[in-house]
Amino acid sequence: MITQARGNTNIIEMQNVGIRYGQGPEILSDIRLALPKGSFHFLTGKSGAGKTSLLSMMYLAQKPSRGTVSVFGKDINFTHRDNLAMLRRRIGVVFQDFRLLDHLSAFDNVALPLRVCGMDEREIRKRVNELLSWVELDRHILDTTATLSGGEKQRIAIARAVINRPDLLLADEPTGNVDNDIAPKLMKLFVELNKLGTTVVIATHSEKLINDFAFPRLHLQNRGLRIYYPSDSSLMEKYHV
Amino acid sequence: MSDTSLISRRQELPLKGGNTSLFLQVIISIAVFIFAITLSGVLSINAMLSNWNQSILGSLTVQIMPVNDSNREKAQTETLAHQEKTLEFLKNVNGVIKATPLKDEQLQQLIQPWLGDGIDLINLPMPRIIDVKIASNAEIDFTQLAQDLTAVSPYASLDNHKLWLNKLIKFADGLKALAMTILILVTAITSGAIFYTTQMNLGLHSAIIEILHTMGAKDTYIAQQYARRMGFLGLIGGLLGLLCAIPTIFFIASLAKQIEGGIISEANLNINDWFIIFSLPLFSMAISMFTAYHTVKKTLRKML
Repeated sequence: MITQARGNTNIIEMQNVGIRYGQGPEILSDIRLALPKGSFHFLTGKSGAGKTSLLSMMYLAQKPSRGTVSVFGKDINFTHRDNLAMLRRRIGVVFQDFRLLDHLSAFDNVALPLRVCGMDEREIRKRVNELLSWVELDRHILDTTATLSGGEKQRIAIARAVINRPDLLLADEPTGNVDNDIAPKLMKLFVELNKLGTTVVIATHSEKLINDFAFPRLHLQNRGLRIYYPSDSSLMEKYHV
Repeated sequence: MSDTSLISRRQELPLKGGNTSLFLQVIISIAVFIFAITLSGVLSINAMLSNWNQSILGSLTVQIMPVNDSNREKAQTETLAHQEKTLEFLKNVNGVIKATPLKDEQLQQLIQPWLGDGIDLINLPMPRIIDVKIASNAEIDFTQLAQDLTAVSPYASLDNHKLWLNKLIKFADGLKALAMTILILVTAITSGAIFYTTQMNLGLHSAIIEILHTMGAKDTYIAQQYARRMGFLGLIGGLLGLLCAIPTIFFIASLAKQIEGGIISEANLNINDWFIIFSLPLFSMAISMFTAYHTVKKTLRKML
């Protein structure tokens, strides 16, 4: 089943996508998917169902073994390396294992996507200070991330993902390591970004999170993908069901 | 809030320190040391050839073989008579500016290294030598001149310096080719060391590179960080190598000056040569940067 965008640009489109590693069997088969601009989806499935593989294709770290994947309207199989880099700058990613650069400070980690784009250092300083203050880590701004706790690292990872106001935000268990009082705040940030036009996909095992926020669910099962929509009629309209 | 205005930006790739940096610096130091010594050799040979060329350009030598007679005095007189005849002829040749016979003292000086002091030339069947200066624009047919000289005196023969100089030039060219081969090999070995060190380092930091790619970094962004670091190592290694090479060059030069014959002592380096030698650390820096940059670009191209 494909979610069709009516008069809307799809941020991600997948057609008959299969992924296999080496000569092994396909872990995902015949995936067909279209994520409209400004949509918000949860990505669910058991461990090993292929959530990380699907996400890595979305943030252009992996090409499909077969089928086509288009991100921002570009078929990634036929996009030049430098253009892929330009597409990646429009994507924010929160990894389950954070993937911070532990030899750098919290400030430098969050500044990374802006520096890669060649942004002016004064503007970087302003933006990073603001965001670190918002995630309540301004006390640790000069600390290397190796010295921070799991929850603090996760907030740094989220700050890094949203610092350049991405068009597409992909998060793998973004609230898995944070305290109960921080988790809703972070989710609120994702929702706010979504309201500003960012397309969001959050991989999670948390049924509570899925129930608290009535967004469609991309569920991976038996190497395939099914989409479940919430019963909320306004959301049904938004997702053109 | 902490004062972030004082933050000194750190490189995303932790390329500083480690054994590979030390290894590379040592390799580059040795390479620049060998390069500087060999290069000074090449430049010295060039200077030597230039000196030889300048000293014999516009000159030739005519040799009068000694007349063979058991009466040494008579033989000496006849030899001198042949020398006079030849001198008269040479002075009338178009293009000849001056023809000067070497005096007995000069001849004695020439054979002094082999026969020692106090040689009585009358008792030796010594050839007489005439030093001939020719105009720089003179168009002399040396084959014809040699034939004419033989006609004037059967004891006269022409020694065109170019004949023996060509042999020396061939020898010097051989030495230069050998030195150039060494220079190319040293450059190739250094580039190879940088190539493999960079590749190894890319593997070591593949996780960080993956993160940088995810953030939207182009290969150029990563390659520039490697080029800067390797360029720095190339410069420091080059300076160390040069620091060791300079006294060694002076030591070799002092040894060369002690060699008799006055050939090698002419191989002095001029200011341009020294400029080239002193620019070697910049050259090693450029090679390091170029190799690292292109190694990273080539290696990353294989990644998505």
